Amino acid sequence: MAGWRRVKMDTGKVKKILDIKEAAALVTDGGTVALGGLSMNSLPMAFVRELIRQEKKDLTVVAIVNGMAVDWLVAAGCVRRLITGLVSFEGLGLAPNFRRAAESGQIKVDEYSEYLLIARLRAAATNLPFIPTKAGLGTDILALHPETTRLESDAVTGELYVACTPLPVDVAIVHAHAADRFGNVRVDPKLLWMDNEISNAAAKTIVTVEEIIPHQDFVAEPHRTTYPGFVVDAVAEVPWGAYPTSCFPKYTHDNAFFAAYSDAARAPERFQAFWSERVAGPDTHASFMKANGGDDAVACILRRVV
Amino acid sequence: MSRKIAGADYTVDELMVVALSRQFDNSTRAFNGAVSFIPVCAYLLARKTHAPELVWAASSIAIDADPPQLGESTLSDSIWDKAVMLSNSPFDFWAYAQGMRYNTFAFRGAQIDRFGNVNNTVIGSYDKPKVRLPGGGGMADLSCMIPNIFLWSTTHNPKIFVDKLDFRSGIGWGDGGRHREKLGLPGGPRLCVTNLCVMDFHPDSKAMRLKSLHPGVAVEDVQAATGFAVLLPDGDIPVTDAPSEEELRILRQEVDPTSMRLQEFQ
Repeated sequence: MAGWRRVKMDTGKVKKILDIKEAAALVTDGGTVALGGLSMNSLPMAFVRELIRQEKKDLTVVAIVNGMAVDWLVAAGCVRRLITGLVSFEGLGLAPNFRRAAESGQIKVDEYSEYLLIARLRAAATNLPFIPTKAGLGTDILALHPETTRLESDAVTGELYVACTPLPVDVAIVHAHAADRFGNVRVDPKLLWMDNEISNAAAKTIVTVEEIIPHQDFVAEPHRTTYPGFVVDAVAEVPWGAYPTSCFPKYTHDNAFFAAYSDAARAPERFQAFWSERVAGPDTHASFMKANGGDDAVACILRRVV
Repeated sequence: MSRKIAGADYTVDELMVVALSRQFDNSTRAFNGAVSFIPVCAYLLARKTHAPELVWAASSIAIDADPPQLGESTLSDSIWDKAVMLSNSPFDFWAYAQGMRYNTFAFRGAQIDRFGNVNNTVIGSYDKPKVRLPGGGGMADLSCMIPNIFLWSTTHNPKIFVDKLDFRSGIGWGDGGRHREKLGLPGGPRLCVTNLCVMDFHPDSKAMRLKSLHPGVAVEDVQAATGFAVLLPDGDIPVTDAPSEEELRILRQEVDPTSMRLQEFQ
């Protein structure tokens, strides 16, 4: 596969470090990509920007609770189908490109709820025909996809449940704090969102991290490891890689970016300018950060613990 | 904009927070989702006044957080300070929710019907929506799992309180009567607090019923703002109890000193 490097290390282990362009090349047109993070927290934004720059097409995107990452991918025309529980900018309103594309029919939206998606991912991850739950009973969600959220009743007790069938994922993309060269990953503090669910269900998992740290650090403190290298296929070092969403506790989301983006989206020509200057145009993540205020922007989102 | 209550020293947002807060007690174990300033204020206020044992997981993550002020988002780290635990969605949160260790959930919707079912998915048809809304998120799940459901709306009007939802993203009392029980779901909606009034649900039909009117609001105002016939209680309809001085002081100075809750009134 293009860009995929298998470098034998002296330990005999495979080196997993790719640059972000090589990592994004692992996603193929028409594939199913699941995005980690939640709402304004820890979305893999740098990776998503790279997918846009590589002009991926016809993706099926699984995004359990999302906002800006989905809005970018939809704006760039990368998405054919979206499997989601929620896409919004919270108090700043609806995600404008998601809304427009869903209303025009440009994308097909398969709405599930958070737990129904977790159950489907767990069924895929554990090789089970379905996972039962009471989530969704009595709502209109189930009728949207009667084959993957089946209404059934227990053969013995008659109790109703929803049978959630497997949701296989080609590539899971999550953002985390640190990794070593073998793909061992720390989410530290261990705020998983639903990232473990998507990576367990995925054929391939790519992790962008704030920093690559020495392998010895993992051995010294193994209790801080979140994902072992054998479930991670590639890691790419991208400091500020979740920007403009947060990476707790290093930085919070950039409310000013969300506000400016939403404001620009009110007029197509203004959005076009914003898009090329501040989203899709910059070649590298560093130049993207610079286009969004560089050190000044970063100073504003550094988290101040009170 | 939040409305000043004529002749009183508090506003309608404060009245809503206090009305909700008084529903909670030391057995309340709650969490919150996106844009949930009114219930977040209510949980914190209850904990700082009459319910010190109340459990609240900020953003459904940060258990027992005690932020010095609220941030722009109720789903972000801006409200996690002084938490005892940053819990995880898959292992902790969903286990506590399904096991009913969490027992209280407040939500609102772009549409709410008489049985407290809500829509946050689409206006119009699902396939060709007039407005594509954010989606229900965890609403379809949690409305099935959590026994004590509270609804709120800062904009009581006929576009929100509708006769028929365009899509049911979250279940309240379902089709009414014993529907929820027949589905095997625990509890149901207890109360709906709006900028005009407080409503509960008829014990048999489970339809929305006026419980109290905010000062200066008449029954006709509520009916005109509601797309279905609101049931009336027997006897006089009381005025919603005013906040105490202590509640107002704590809300204004300790819970939400920067008035982030007013974002819900824009």
